[in-house]
Amino acid sequence: MRETRGAIFATALVLAMAAGCGGSRDTAKAPAEETAGAPEGAVWKPAGDEGTVTGKVSFKGTAPKYRAISMDADTVCAAKHKSPVHPETVVVNGNGSLRNVFVYVKSGLEGKNFAVPDQPVELDQEGCIYKPHVLGMQARQNIKVVTSDDTTHNIHPLPKVNREWNVSQPPGADPIIRSFTRPEATIPVKCNQHPWMRAYIHVVSHPFYAVTGEDGTFKLEGLPPGDYEIEAVHEEYGASTQKVSLAAKGTASADFSFSPTQARRPSSLITLPALVLGCCGDR
Amino acid sequence: MATDNNHDAEPAGTAPDPIADRSLSGPLLIATILLFGSLLWALYDELFAERPWKRYQEQFVRTYSAFLEKLGPRQAAAEKTVRSSPAFQKIEAQLQSAEREASPRIREIEKELAGIRERLAILKNPFQDTRARIAVLTYELDHAGAGRAKDAIRAEIREVRKGPFRIEGLDSGGKRVALTFDEMEKQFGDLKSREAALNTELARITAPLRDLRRQRSEYLADNLAGLSPQQIEGLQRANRDSKIEIRQIHVEEAGLVDRCESCHLGIRQSVTLTAADMGNPVFVSHPNRTLLAIHDPTRFGCSPCHNGNGLATSSVQKAHGNYRHWLWPLFPKENVEAGCLQCHFGDRVLDYAPVLERGRDLFEGKGCIGCHRYEGFDRPTEQLNEVRKEAQSLETRQKEARLEAEQEVRKGDAAESNEEAQKHYARAESLRVTASSIDARLESLEQRAKYLMQDQKKVGPNLKDVRLKLRKEWIPVWLRDPQAFRPGTKMPKFRLAEEEVRALSAFIWQSGLDGPAPPRQAPGNAAAGKELFETRGCLACHSIGQPAVGGEFAANLSRLGEKAGYDYIVRWIHNPRERTRPYCPHEKRDLGPEDYAKHGQPFVFDLQNSRCPNDGHQLQVQNLTVMPSLRLSDQEARDVASYLLSLRTNASYADGVAWMDDPRMAERGRQLASRYGCGSCHEIRGLEDAPRIGTELTKEASKPMEQLDFGLLEHKAKDEGWYTHKGFFERKLRDPAIYDQGREKAPEERLRMPNIALTRDDVRALNTFLLGSVDSPFYGKFNSIPAQFRYIPSDRRKDIQEGWWLVKKYNCMGCHTVQIGQPSVLSGLPRYQDPDWKEQLPPTLVQEGARVNPDWLARFLANPAISQAETNRNGIRTYLKARMPTFSFSPNEIRVLVRFFQALADQPVLHLAEEMQPLNSQERLLARALFSSEGAPCLKCHLVGDANRDRFATAPNFLAARERLKPAWTARWMLEPQAISPGTAMPSGLFRQDGGRWVFAGPTPASFKEYKGDHVQLLVRYMFQLTAEEQRQLLQKLPTAPAKPAGAAAGMR
Repeated sequence: MRETRGAIFATALVLAMAAGCGGSRDTAKAPAEETAGAPEGAVWKPAGDEGTVTGKVSFKGTAPKYRAISMDADTVCAAKHKSPVHPETVVVNGNGSLRNVFVYVKSGLEGKNFAVPDQPVELDQEGCIYKPHVLGMQARQNIKVVTSDDTTHNIHPLPKVNREWNVSQPPGADPIIRSFTRPEATIPVKCNQHPWMRAYIHVVSHPFYAVTGEDGTFKLEGLPPGDYEIEAVHEEYGASTQKVSLAAKGTASADFSFSPTQARRPSSLITLPALVLGCCGDR
Repeated sequence: MATDNNHDAEPAGTAPDPIADRSLSGPLLIATILLFGSLLWALYDELFAERPWKRYQEQFVRTYSAFLEKLGPRQAAAEKTVRSSPAFQKIEAQLQSAEREASPRIREIEKELAGIRERLAILKNPFQDTRARIAVLTYELDHAGAGRAKDAIRAEIREVRKGPFRIEGLDSGGKRVALTFDEMEKQFGDLKSREAALNTELARITAPLRDLRRQRSEYLADNLAGLSPQQIEGLQRANRDSKIEIRQIHVEEAGLVDRCESCHLGIRQSVTLTAADMGNPVFVSHPNRTLLAIHDPTRFGCSPCHNGNGLATSSVQKAHGNYRHWLWPLFPKENVEAGCLQCHFGDRVLDYAPVLERGRDLFEGKGCIGCHRYEGFDRPTEQLNEVRKEAQSLETRQKEARLEAEQEVRKGDAAESNEEAQKHYARAESLRVTASSIDARLESLEQRAKYLMQDQKKVGPNLKDVRLKLRKEWIPVWLRDPQAFRPGTKMPKFRLAEEEVRALSAFIWQSGLDGPAPPRQAPGNAAAGKELFETRGCLACHSIGQPAVGGEFAANLSRLGEKAGYDYIVRWIHNPRERTRPYCPHEKRDLGPEDYAKHGQPFVFDLQNSRCPNDGHQLQVQNLTVMPSLRLSDQEARDVASYLLSLRTNASYADGVAWMDDPRMAERGRQLASRYGCGSCHEIRGLEDAPRIGTELTKEASKPMEQLDFGLLEHKAKDEGWYTHKGFFERKLRDPAIYDQGREKAPEERLRMPNIALTRDDVRALNTFLLGSVDSPFYGKFNSIPAQFRYIPSDRRKDIQEGWWLVKKYNCMGCHTVQIGQPSVLSGLPRYQDPDWKEQLPPTLVQEGARVNPDWLARFLANPAISQAETNRNGIRTYLKARMPTFSFSPNEIRVLVRFFQALADQPVLHLAEEMQPLNSQERLLARALFSSEGAPCLKCHLVGDANRDRFATAPNFLAARERLKPAWTARWMLEPQAISPGTAMPSGLFRQDGGRWVFAGPTPASFKEYKGDHVQLLVRYMFQLTAEEQRQLLQKLPTAPAKPAGAAAGMR
């Protein structure tokens, strides 16, 4: 009896110490990060029975019209363009499909560990526009940021999970090579000097992703057979998922459709134009 | 057999001998068994039962050695990994090549040294013997008497020196060598100096090797997480050799003996032990090594923080102090931070005590301080009372002195002799001087009172304004159940009968001021108001909606439209400090225009006009609210008010409230308001000086249990095991009326403490705070904590302590990050997650003291607009939508805040700006060229004072740098802004290292080819010497941006 009671009290003391000294505010997340940071197990190798998921992202409704970007803030940028440049927020292709949609396998690949490509993905800055506008990459893969402009940029990704950075890149500077270590749905990238510049980086844990282009289609190749959840993410219209079953050496299709009535970004988020307007309207 | 019988039969005739006949062996046996039994029992008790720690120690030694056994190979493998890392291998390779290079010579030297040492050993004895002999002879020579005797000794010395000394083994041949003393001395000396030379050379050659070896072991230590295999082996040895014995910490000067480690053996082990490792939570390591390192147990012991009976070893219960007569039971695990409070009494914010901090936040924020005095809280009110008392006594003294002076004069007039008259006059004179010198002291007290009145705040709103501000019918609704109307509000629920609600409503309504009413306002634009409300920073303190979005520091404004009047709210938003009438604490009433008119003065009262027109005393000219002015324009105030008043539900209110004008009810209400202490949190006419009605809580947990009134629940509490301070507080906080249960009490005798909306965590936090509120925290020869234990800093840490009270008082952390890692309320709002809004967050203040000049900071805190004319803006970051408000800090508070930021960044309080080396004209041209070059991004984001360019600005104007910033910080900021303010719009990597200097990373203008200086320093000097004229010149060099209407701004859709 005494023994057990002793043990209980001792537990209390120890736990009391543990509870009382919980450490500083920002250390709470650390252990989870450590365990999730490096996937364990052998690297996945294709077995020869892989299949393909294809699909198309269509757009229904009227595309929003954007006013041309004013590049007043930097004459170097303005000089690079002969014709007006429009924001790439919503780009509807001629065939009624939606461009710049990031499509990837959201779930179904758990427990597999995919080799990180040696080749970096590339993000270019040309005419003070990010190219590409939407970019997919694998966690721990390198991203190479190059500049083709004669003005200084700064590359400022604003991740919520990964570590934030903000680095200056003057004209003719060496490429900036960095990486994101953890998968993260959408990382906006901005240049603080050219407020209209915006790119979106999607970091996933595997190589099965695509970005829709001029025909609005995508293709996820080399996918092992299985049941998957495929997600399409658009910066303005949010995400949409579909389930597919892929047989060995099979193909499956997943078509997505977005329309302007769909869930937008939260309305409280006033985008930059209003901000710029607001700041000048005041005074 | 027969003989025996005979023998037996013989004494049978006589009376039996009681001694011889009765055998005592039975009782003796029993006694022996008992004695032996009790001996065994005593031994058992002594060795086992009363020494439970022995078993703990045995168990610990067992499990710990098993644990180390497992850890050993793991750490060996880890060490192997480190050893195979490229960096380690590199050091290893360097070491090996260095060793290879040096080893032939080392071997040579060592060989030669060995030879020398051998020869020295052979020579040493004969040489030293002979030298000693000569020394003796020389001494004799000095003391010999006659010349002949001296000569004889001289001859002997010569003889001795001549030798010859036959020495074997000195040469390699093994032959004997014959030497004279002189030869011997020379050889010995030569060998010695050769040995020294070789040793020096050896040290020189091996120095780099030693260096590399040190590097190698340092690398190993730095990169091996945990202990090295050798260290583990050491621990294993120590564990094996450990004795079963009491382990105690004895702090003599505190009279403290703590034996906790007799069972908790893992607390200070150098390996981190978890309950899983050790199979028993008793043996874990202390969970916070940093904390333990600050509070070294050999100096502080255990019980000063954790409580318990550190001396007791006979049972867990006793050791933890959980028995009847021990006044300091171990703090329960969820309230463990209570232990911090005893020594850190003055610290509002502690690094490792978030629960305790939350407890204090609640004590202040929920208004507990309104009724319960607690030392350190609401200091302005207490200081104000002291100042007023002192002023009063001074005034009395002054009056007396004047009176006495008059009497002395009269005495002098009536005096018989001139001498006597002179004496009286002189005395009268000095009394008059004394009286007038009191004026100076009164004046300074008056000023202190003015500042303190400015600092004084009340928890709740000013109820003198109810008639101007509130809807009449709403008041009883609110009083019935404030939580129902506004969940989470700090207004608690008083357990009022309907009759009491009505009486209180009537009193509050009738005690309200009738005017002057705030001016009538035209309606505003609610949509614009919503935008302003959400972006100006209101949400740092206020929240909207359910579940609430925004800060919990101030009210949730969701239903404001149901209670408040428009004109009043407009005035409030415009300037919450603006009062309807100034209050004179001297006359104890609110002054009106008529008082001013009597003296021909306009009805104007503010911080500059704060004296009473009747008697010159300081008036309370502000509302006692912490809410600052956001310096909104009249139109903006109307917009925000329109938006807020649009927030309402469809609740309906009874119109029949004519009884609220019944004076009899008001009289009853006044009694109730005094009884419930309404005047502690609110300003109410007639209750301005109402005392706190609750018990003081500063040392509440030291109250003997008998003084805590459990009512009829005492037996239940004892049965259920919550007859403790914790049990009492916890239940009282959850249900303040609980100890009235079952008692027959008249309504006016019932417990008054209202029901406060508290979550479980809130109760825990408040309980932690209360449990730590003790007088004598631990036993020993002191009645209270020994002075050396208390944290009473007198240096910059004191400034930090004092500053936190203000930072909390005004909720600076709602907008700013003040502490590393502390998120502001704004930064957590959905709006600020957007990439564009992120840079709209107010600046971090973590390094504020290092960043800004304290003189500037003082000016800024007094007037964040910086300008007297243009107030509807931020002074520095004009581009921020969130507005740094005007808090109307008194000079006292500004001083505390400035010192706080200086101290937080380790800066001296007195800042003397270093003289900036002036730029010569060539340097100015260089800096100007760099600043305006295409590659340099500075002017794209920083304000330049040109409306067209400033449309895009997201950073302050360089013109402000000279007065505002510190040059050293500015240079650090330019090099690595992300390290100072993570996520800032200012990019890193603007400069690169080039030799010993920093140069701009981008293309530099041609003129820089010849420039050999540091670019960062050049730009800092330029910034700090920038003039408006120079800025104009700078702008002229920039390509002009075409001015376009704002509508065509970037990305407009």
